[in-house]
Amino acid sequence: MNVPLRQSADKVFTALALLSVVLVAAALVGILLPMMWRGGSAVVFRGTVEFRRMQLEQFNRGDSAAVRAEVEEAAKIRQRAFEILDGFAAGLDTSELETKVKQLHREFGVQIANRDIPQAQATELRKLSKELRDGLLSALEAGSKDQALSHLDEVLSHAGDGRLKGTLASTYFDLARKYHNTLTTVDLNRRGEYAESLKQVMEAMKNLFGPPSGERLPAVTMEQYGATRWDQATQHLDRLLWAETWAGSGEGRTLAKSRVPREEQFAGTELAELFPYVRNNIQAMLRPQWTFYWRYFTDDSMSGHYFGGVGPEVLGTLLVTVLAIAFALPVGVVAAAYLVECARDSLATRVLRMCVNTLAGVPSIVFGLFGLAFFVIYLLPKLGLREGSSILAGALTLALLVLPVIIRASEEAIRTVPRAYKEASMALGASRFRCFVTVTLPAAAPGILTGLILSMSRAAGETAPILFTAAVAMGPVPTSLSQPTRTLSYSSYDMAVGDKMAMLAPHNQFGMVMTLVAIVLLLNIVAIMLRGRMSKKLRGQ
Amino acid sequence: MRTTWQAAMWVVLAAFLGGMPGSAVGGDEKEKTSLQIEGSTTVGPIADEFTEAFKKLHPEITITVKKTGSGDGIAALIDGRCPIATSSRFMKGDEFKKAVEKGVTPVAHAIAMDGVCIVVHPSNPIKAMKTEQVKDIYTGKITNWKELGGADKPIVVISRDTSSGTYESFTNFVMGKDKMFEKVEYVNSNPQAHSRVSTTEGAIGYVGLGFVDEKVKALEMNGVAPNRKTVQSGQYPFSRPLFLFTNGYPDLGSAVHAFCTFYLTEKGQEIIEAKGFVPVTNY
Repeated sequence: MNVPLRQSADKVFTALALLSVVLVAAALVGILLPMMWRGGSAVVFRGTVEFRRMQLEQFNRGDSAAVRAEVEEAAKIRQRAFEILDGFAAGLDTSELETKVKQLHREFGVQIANRDIPQAQATELRKLSKELRDGLLSALEAGSKDQALSHLDEVLSHAGDGRLKGTLASTYFDLARKYHNTLTTVDLNRRGEYAESLKQVMEAMKNLFGPPSGERLPAVTMEQYGATRWDQATQHLDRLLWAETWAGSGEGRTLAKSRVPREEQFAGTELAELFPYVRNNIQAMLRPQWTFYWRYFTDDSMSGHYFGGVGPEVLGTLLVTVLAIAFALPVGVVAAAYLVECARDSLATRVLRMCVNTLAGVPSIVFGLFGLAFFVIYLLPKLGLREGSSILAGALTLALLVLPVIIRASEEAIRTVPRAYKEASMALGASRFRCFVTVTLPAAAPGILTGLILSMSRAAGETAPILFTAAVAMGPVPTSLSQPTRTLSYSSYDMAVGDKMAMLAPHNQFGMVMTLVAIVLLLNIVAIMLRGRMSKKLRGQ
Repeated sequence: MRTTWQAAMWVVLAAFLGGMPGSAVGGDEKEKTSLQIEGSTTVGPIADEFTEAFKKLHPEITITVKKTGSGDGIAALIDGRCPIATSSRFMKGDEFKKAVEKGVTPVAHAIAMDGVCIVVHPSNPIKAMKTEQVKDIYTGKITNWKELGGADKPIVVISRDTSSGTYESFTNFVMGKDKMFEKVEYVNSNPQAHSRVSTTEGAIGYVGLGFVDEKVKALEMNGVAPNRKTVQSGQYPFSRPLFLFTNGYPDLGSAVHAFCTFYLTEKGQEIIEAKGFVPVTNY
């Protein structure tokens, strides 16, 4: 080959090498950075007053008086929005009003019976109440506006009746006035059209502000609060202010999406007022503030990872990983030492070595199923431990999974220790064992550590081996090794497939993945620093 | 320096080993009952939220929930590895047989209802369908929306993976003995099916009732729209109950009994509804 050709081939090779480095870096930046960025939003975000209320009530955290004052302040401004909504909804949803009116009549009866008034007067009052009730009911059922209004006027004509003063009956008139008000603004014929949109408005209001204060608390924690994060709030606000409709452009054509401001949709009704009110006051209603939620890494989660953090998952991941390494490392190093130092190059060793290599390529779910059959069902109950998945079983399974990597890495590391080291120590009269422990092993340690780093990262991120042996989706923080645990890898899988959580709280899913990557990174950094110190020592510095 | 490190390591090791036998004999603190629940990914979220509620109501009971699939849960119940199995389908005949052979008498508790909703992209003008039409789409007889009076667009057919309980319910309701055709695209979970349909014009798929929102359109089946009322009454053709299975009827007053009857309480029903399912009664 002539010189210019060789030089240009060299250049092409360099360029290709550079290109691959750039590609790897780009892939890292392209995949890892957005993930870390979005995951970071689980920790650093604009928290609303709802977030601070949740932290105070659920985790007993924060300045109680200050948060209460803030909640008060926000509630005052929200009050008006709920009033508008309630007023409108009451007029539209007559079935609820009907039950209210019927209930009222019954309660009025009880109130009269408990009062110390003559029998005749009581009967008269009850008759009057019945009259009012029927009047209201027929107004609610009336098909046309005029009919309804005439019924209401009749009811309201009794408003000045002195006999009803101080009784529950005054509520009849409140209801009648409210409905009167609605009737004058709402077109009865458009009731069905409004109802659908109103449902979405109420949903958005609930998502933004939670249940209005004073109402009974919902059973599920995530429904007890409004939007805790400003990014969530803006989405709900968009849904509140805009109606998304799909309208057809003709037979056999796809529908086109159109966005109509709800203000326009409800134009002319009293609800129209709600939208500009919320839009203009949303900051005061939610009071967003930049929040650094570092306790995300230690908090327990709530409502299936909707609130809270990943504390138990972090603990579980660390426990399982560290334990797996603690099991695998001694076994792996001893096995490697045997293969290099003791075993002769016979057929048996070659087969053994091939087996180890094959084991490294076995899919992780196979290890998981083996762990279930061997450790969970057979071995651990035999040893008197509780049957069922446990941290111990998971760690043992993971240890098997990473064993081949550790053996291979250790083997290479031990083999590269210069013969001169061993010969020198033997010449000084050291036994083979002593020579291995005091000379070969320390010299091979940096190489073994490299294998350790690789296997640790793998163990932390694996889902399949612990799926049946150690992981649960929900459970208490483990207090011993014979209990199952939550882990980051399994929980992020669970969040993705089981529930709507990944749709409702994507930041938490990304946060979980970010935490896992961060843990692996941290473990690696520790190991690399350790390796650095070791090789420094080896070089005699 | 070195001794401190070594001391620390010994302390950690001792703590690990010390914790192990402690729990094996029941723990030193107040007697705690532990409850393992395994099974369906569909019913799992209900069990999760029940567990959350139990934390406050019965702090003496610790509960772990695993979600690996209805079949796994039932297998674990038969093997005696868990007292409660969650399942989105009823037990199969051979599972029953195996259970009885092992001395386990399975008892079913229907805790909630779910509807399997046929969903399409919201841009699709089609509003209603018949069971046969859905079947024709999944067997590949109908491949364009035009044939159903929709736009001239090829149909992208999405199905859940064959191991899911939802898939089994769907094949029960719609497919009967027929196989899906080879162009059907399989996805792993409800959220995935939802996102695939909501981003693809011309797609059709099926998800649980709780996953129907404004991003996908649920079709009326045989003239009945899926909602709480129609699913509960069984009017909606693809309604199914969700189960907890136990070994025999649980002892009254036990933790298992408390858990299996929690769906009857007002709070339990509210949780079921909040999770997007339909409670069995109107509380």
